[in-house]
Amino acid sequence: MEQERFTIPIGPQHPALKEPGHFIFTVDGEIVTGASVRLGYAHRGIEKAVESRNWVQNLYLLERICGICSHIHAMAYCLGVEKLAGVTAPPRAQAIRVLVAELERIHSHLLWLGVAAHQAGFETLFMYSWRDRETVMEILETLTGNRVNYSANILGGVKVDLDQQIIETILHGLTFLEGRIHFYLELVSGDQVFLQRTRGIGIATQAQAERLGLTGPTTRASGIGRDLRADAPYAAYLDYPIRIVTEQEGDLEARFKVRLKELLETIRLIRLLLDSLPDGELKSRMPRRIHAGETISRVEAPRGELFYFIASNGGDQPARIKVRTPTLSNMASVTALAVGLHLADMPMLLTGVDPCFSCNDRLMTVRNTGESSIWTWEKLRHYGIEYYRKRE
Amino acid sequence: MNALEQARTLLEGQVLAWTEPETDRLDAEVSPENLLAAVTALANPTWGYLVAITGLDGGAEAGTMQVLYHFCSGPHVLTLRVTLPRNRPMISSVCGVIPYGSVFERELAEMFGIDVRHAPDASRLFLPDDWPEAVYPLRKDTRLD
Repeated sequence: MEQERFTIPIGPQHPALKEPGHFIFTVDGEIVTGASVRLGYAHRGIEKAVESRNWVQNLYLLERICGICSHIHAMAYCLGVEKLAGVTAPPRAQAIRVLVAELERIHSHLLWLGVAAHQAGFETLFMYSWRDRETVMEILETLTGNRVNYSANILGGVKVDLDQQIIETILHGLTFLEGRIHFYLELVSGDQVFLQRTRGIGIATQAQAERLGLTGPTTRASGIGRDLRADAPYAAYLDYPIRIVTEQEGDLEARFKVRLKELLETIRLIRLLLDSLPDGELKSRMPRRIHAGETISRVEAPRGELFYFIASNGGDQPARIKVRTPTLSNMASVTALAVGLHLADMPMLLTGVDPCFSCNDRLMTVRNTGESSIWTWEKLRHYGIEYYRKRE
Repeated sequence: MNALEQARTLLEGQVLAWTEPETDRLDAEVSPENLLAAVTALANPTWGYLVAITGLDGGAEAGTMQVLYHFCSGPHVLTLRVTLPRNRPMISSVCGVIPYGSVFERELAEMFGIDVRHAPDASRLFLPDDWPEAVYPLRKDTRLD
């Protein structure tokens, strides 16, 4: 007689990161035998919203898809729209875009390291890495005025510039971070207790990584040297080439090592870039209306390949923008790799792909126990205004 | 032979029309009946990877919808473009060949109301459980305000 399946729901509250996602695991004792995923708890309908805003407004909207890797979204959008308009941003602007993107990668990977350490129960590493992450957050704030949503891009270029003082601040910060990253690398590959949570767990072989459609550091940890910064160089990556970092094991330990080694490569690149920063203008002139046409813009976000499909019908608003974030691709792997593992490994497995739910989820619905469960843009905006008015 | 020319050879005979919209890009128009054969040809031997599935609604006037399957190999992007009637959009699932296509297809089905036949998982991915039936947010005539 077939036994009844026993299912355990995890989420939507905080299955791994402090973000919502719902997983249903089927278990046999402690061993996971099946998994499914349900997303959308942070969906804001951004793909729909862009169709009623102009090209410039959309830059600010799209940058807010993600609170961690905001710059890379704006950059992918700008590069795509510029391509459609037949405009190229000046070399200095392209270099500054890359600089901010790489600083963002440091902040994103260090944030992830802390979260992953927290999931493994290694609170000291969590505290350390988040303390060190402040260094790069302060650099980003000095450079752009903001800790998140830096808003460095404009269509046709950038709006931030560097002077010698900022360059020195960045270099000083990098020296400190480099030392710390070496220390973390030693820690994640040497600490026996930590290794029990990572070594040999959640293995994706090279063939599996291909079959599961993995992307970003998660694929590189399975021995696939795929990185858009090298494979299809955009912005200033052509002049400042990056070396792809890979690991062969495909387990959680390899994912830690890839991300940390990638940061050392990022630091090398930033130093090189600051050493030979091109002079010149910061922006090119952009038309208000964009030629009719379709384009594809692909960039390497901290979590993997970020894909933008942009269509214009010649007006001052886009006809369609499709965003495929790396997390969506990686999510499919979690449900596949979960099978055969212990239930207790699930948070670590999930964290291993560095999921970003707000990237994933883009419709304006807020679940509510009241009569109406769907909030329109206007209603939410009004709610927000009233909320802050009452607080004053 | 560059990767896009290779793709052209693989897809020989299954494409209605070719276009080269930009450098490193190739668009292949494929009929809905030929989609699975085309995807299979790209998967065996493997040509790149499926990066995304984009739905495009032409609106009520045009009466058509398009589904774009973007495959990437290094800097090259190959797009299979399938045009569907808007009143009864139906397409075969590619999950039999590309299992990880499931999340893309679930998104496409709920956002555009495209019937993805033989999909391994037809449940909602992003839309809430109490989202009204037959309201497809990314169709041009759906207004959310």
